[in-house]
Amino acid sequence: MITSRDRATRQGAQLHTDNPLQAPTGSPGSTKARALHLGRSLALWLCFFALGASVDQSVAAIAEPVGGAVDKELAEAAADRHACLRCHAMSTLGYRDPDDGEIVDLSIDREGLAHSVHGELACIDCHRRSYRRYPHPDRPAPGDLDCIGCHEDENQNLSRGWVDIDAEFKRSVHAVSDSPRVEGFSCHSCHDPHRFRPAAVGEPIVQIVRNHNEVCLSCHEKLIAPSSTSHGWLPNRDAHWTSVRCVDCHTPVAVFANHEVLPAEKSEKNCVSCHSADPQLLARLYQFRSEEDIARRGLLAKAVFNEAYVVGMSKSPALDRLSLAIIGLMVLLLAAHGVGRYLVRRANRRA
Amino acid sequence: MKSLYLYPVWLRLWHWINALLFLTLIASGVSMHYAGADWLMPFATARVVHNTAGILLTMAWIIFVVANARSENARHYRVRFRTLIGDLIAQTRYYMIGIFRLEPHPFHVTEAMKFNTLQQLSYLGVMYGLMPILILSGWAFLYSVYLPETLFGLGSVWVVAMTHVVVSYLLALFLLVHMYIITTGDTVFSNLRAMITGWHRETDLPRTETTAPAPRETP
Repeated sequence: MITSRDRATRQGAQLHTDNPLQAPTGSPGSTKARALHLGRSLALWLCFFALGASVDQSVAAIAEPVGGAVDKELAEAAADRHACLRCHAMSTLGYRDPDDGEIVDLSIDREGLAHSVHGELACIDCHRRSYRRYPHPDRPAPGDLDCIGCHEDENQNLSRGWVDIDAEFKRSVHAVSDSPRVEGFSCHSCHDPHRFRPAAVGEPIVQIVRNHNEVCLSCHEKLIAPSSTSHGWLPNRDAHWTSVRCVDCHTPVAVFANHEVLPAEKSEKNCVSCHSADPQLLARLYQFRSEEDIARRGLLAKAVFNEAYVVGMSKSPALDRLSLAIIGLMVLLLAAHGVGRYLVRRANRRA
Repeated sequence: MKSLYLYPVWLRLWHWINALLFLTLIASGVSMHYAGADWLMPFATARVVHNTAGILLTMAWIIFVVANARSENARHYRVRFRTLIGDLIAQTRYYMIGIFRLEPHPFHVTEAMKFNTLQQLSYLGVMYGLMPILILSGWAFLYSVYLPETLFGLGSVWVVAMTHVVVSYLLALFLLVHMYIITTGDTVFSNLRAMITGWHRETDLPRTETTAPAPRETP
């Protein structure tokens, strides 16, 4: 079975080389390559005709409602997507890579794409020149799939720019590991552009955490197998998995670098980083919940029904002990003072 | 015996509402801070109770500050710097030594000044120092997303959390001392009664003797 992770990795391996944010240049095909390409195209057409009937039935569903008032560009984009999804919405669309024999999945989940952050784009906005016509070339042309081409303007709006994210990624276990599993790892390996949707403030936290962690678990699926003993040291392991994002512990706690995924042995295992006074991770979790509260409830209702509370956040064991000791001492002093006053008065009365 | 009307209705009302809110905030705050113990309030309840009581405390504090500034009560908060040191020493000496020798109280309540120097400084510190910090840090907790990421190089939320909890402990300490000190009036309950009825009663005679009640002075 082909997973979305397999697909993303395959695409990433094919489209991205050294720089995860840049597409590599294509190379002219040799005679062998052209023959392979021809065979692949033939296979694709056979798939298409075999499944043509079912695709036609779903075309109406694929085409999105674009009323007269809708912007012309949106309508054109929808038409473009419609044309591409005629083939790529088929779940069986794929081919066997002649180099390594692996199956490359070319299907796109229509629902996932529609709900993704790129859901309103035309396919050729990203898959540019090479994919305007069919049959497609077997490799993208230079400049195709250039994420930065669209996202460069966002640098000003982001707290951390692409350069920072790129640097974080290059330090991450996904970039520096010797494991063959990370070969060709790129942005797309986690952020499948056909499905990716950033968490929106106001969504239930459990949902956000689940969406986040699904990305990690699409590869690290063994972790959640029933027989898995991974993360067994965590008290209430399942509660952590449903309430905390993997990256909260598996990225550096001291600095905000959520693309610098750490190997297991370097990940955060110190409970008090969350359940105590650590300023960094604590603030990150708390602010996340706070923003969510305000978005969901509004400013005033948030003040009363505030849900942003991390157990132990205001706790400092030393401060608590000191404060309770001072309060206890004060109670003793006051009690002694009171007893002293009582005894003096009683003695005075007797005298 | 002389009677002075020192605590007008608004002040007494504010005082007891404030006291109730203080106790509610301590109970709910402790329930969240030490969450998990059976004898504490359920966490979800404590959170809403604490937030609501905090908002009401803020309103009560604003009402107090405005009313205090606009009424004659403000005069009791004016520090007499000229005699400050001497008064402080005398008052502290009384609580530590004089009270056990049944010496007369070094401070005499008048309509112009109802607080002794120690009382005055502690009330000033609490109402115009600790309370605003407590309230501001409480609101900063609620709207921490609008704070800068760091304060003084430390995570904002941590600074806010520590400030809130330290001031809470200090105010709990104040409450303890306050509840004890009010028993050091003419009788154990005379100060408490004054805050209920509004009338401060003081006898000029030694405590062990009794006198017939004198007619009250009108406020």
